[in-house]
Amino acid sequence: MPTLAIRLQRYQPEQDNAPHWQDFRVEYDDSTSVLDALEQIKAGQDSSLSYRWSCRMAICGSCGVMVNGVPKLGCKTFLRDYPKGLQLAPLGNFPVEKDLIVDMSRFLDHLTAIKPYLIAEAAPPSQPHRQTPAQLARYKQFSNCINCGLCYAACPQFGLKPDFLGPAAIALAHRYNLDSRDSGKAERMAQLNSDNGVWGCTFVGYCSTVCPKGVDPAAAVNQGKIASTLDGVIQWFKPAKEQSK
Amino acid sequence: MRTNKQDTPQTTPRRSDEPIWWSLFSAGGVCVAMLVPAIALLVLLGIPLGLVSAEQLSYQRLHALVFHPLGLGVVLGALVLPLFHAMHRIHHGLHDLKLAHGQLAKWLCYGSAIVLSTVAIALWLLSAF
Amino acid sequence: MSRKPYQPPMPASWWLKHPAYRFYMLREATVLPLLFFVASLLYGLYALGQGEASWLQYLSWLQQPWVIALNSLALVASLFHAWTFFVLFPQVMPLRLGSRTLPAWLMVSAQWAGVLLVFVALWWLLGGLDAHQ
Repeated sequence: MPTLAIRLQRYQPEQDNAPHWQDFRVEYDDSTSVLDALEQIKAGQDSSLSYRWSCRMAICGSCGVMVNGVPKLGCKTFLRDYPKGLQLAPLGNFPVEKDLIVDMSRFLDHLTAIKPYLIAEAAPPSQPHRQTPAQLARYKQFSNCINCGLCYAACPQFGLKPDFLGPAAIALAHRYNLDSRDSGKAERMAQLNSDNGVWGCTFVGYCSTVCPKGVDPAAAVNQGKIASTLDGVIQWFKPAKEQSK
Repeated sequence: MRTNKQDTPQTTPRRSDEPIWWSLFSAGGVCVAMLVPAIALLVLLGIPLGLVSAEQLSYQRLHALVFHPLGLGVVLGALVLPLFHAMHRIHHGLHDLKLAHGQLAKWLCYGSAIVLSTVAIALWLLSAF
Repeated sequence: MSRKPYQPPMPASWWLKHPAYRFYMLREATVLPLLFFVASLLYGLYALGQGEASWLQYLSWLQQPWVIALNSLALVASLFHAWTFFVLFPQVMPLRLGSRTLPAWLMVSAQWAGVLLVFVALWWLLGGLDAHQ
């Protein structure tokens, strides 16, 4: 079996003050993924290596890493595509907890803030919510997000200003705002309207390039800018007593 | 599914004033893309490129075109909105390059766009009337 | 057990690290030559208001090599900007006909047709027809 050079970024908080690189060689064939390679290293070469994974099929969103500086899912990236070898580092823009494991709590806090769930006007109805294919088509694309955080590693605005809500959270806010069964738009707009909401984005667009599920968060964020502008105009023309409500 | 009443109260962040600057930036972006190539090719570079003659850019013709009542639209589309477009990108660029952020940089950027736009509109008004 | 997370630095040179970021910075930098274009127009507007002599002076200023160079750069920058901006439009404002979204290529082509139309209109306004008869 051929072998490939893999350079790993290691960080052991018990003894290290900063990350360093460590070189490994792994055996691989056409079906070996980056995640398989990490398992090979941990099982046979260095059991102290730490990384996250779960489903191995690009749906759990746990195994995001930087592959040669590009955010990728380890399970969906194959060694056959990197004949010159590869460098693996933890997802960019997040604090590194250990080796390839990052602390995603900033992203998860932002996700919580935009309320990524259906908000009903009153108590949930006893009848099922019906939705036409056209109503579904409005938001369906944005509902494929698996919260892997690759778009946060790709977003320089999140890197420059960690308070920026970021691509996935805003894409999910947009997804629920577009849903005909939802009536929580006003609550989400309050977050999106701020400097750390949609206005933190400068349309670098790289978030959409790296998304492993084809979500196009850049489109969601920038459609959100139009929504936020309209929301501001409407607020401007609203009678004062409505506003104080 | 949750209802409104179950949600925990959250502090509402301040509404950004970016919609104003972003709208001007976007309108300016359309104008730059649509108008600048034609004006650059035919007016600013027209004679060197041989696309127009000096007679075509005569004082009489240009004066009549630019200071026609509809010429104000050209001043807005080719000067004012592109200025706001440019200063918006410079404002965000300063943040991207970690050179400056905060209120001073912001008002220097948009302030200069406002001042230069006022100059452009004043120049037009003085000659058109 | 206490935690000791390592926060990776974000140097001001972050945009040099990846082609996508360099492309973004190039797009943003198109406004620098645009500022020269705007200054040229502002000077032209002033010259046109001052009378014929100053307009002729302006026309000869436009033909100085460094002015030609900077305005050529502004032209190239505006076309590059147009290319990036037109692609964004279908993403930011997807136009719907019923349940279908207009294809992106159609919206992009329509915008380039607009550029061409403006060019022809200005050429006509500058007496292009008479000059070439």
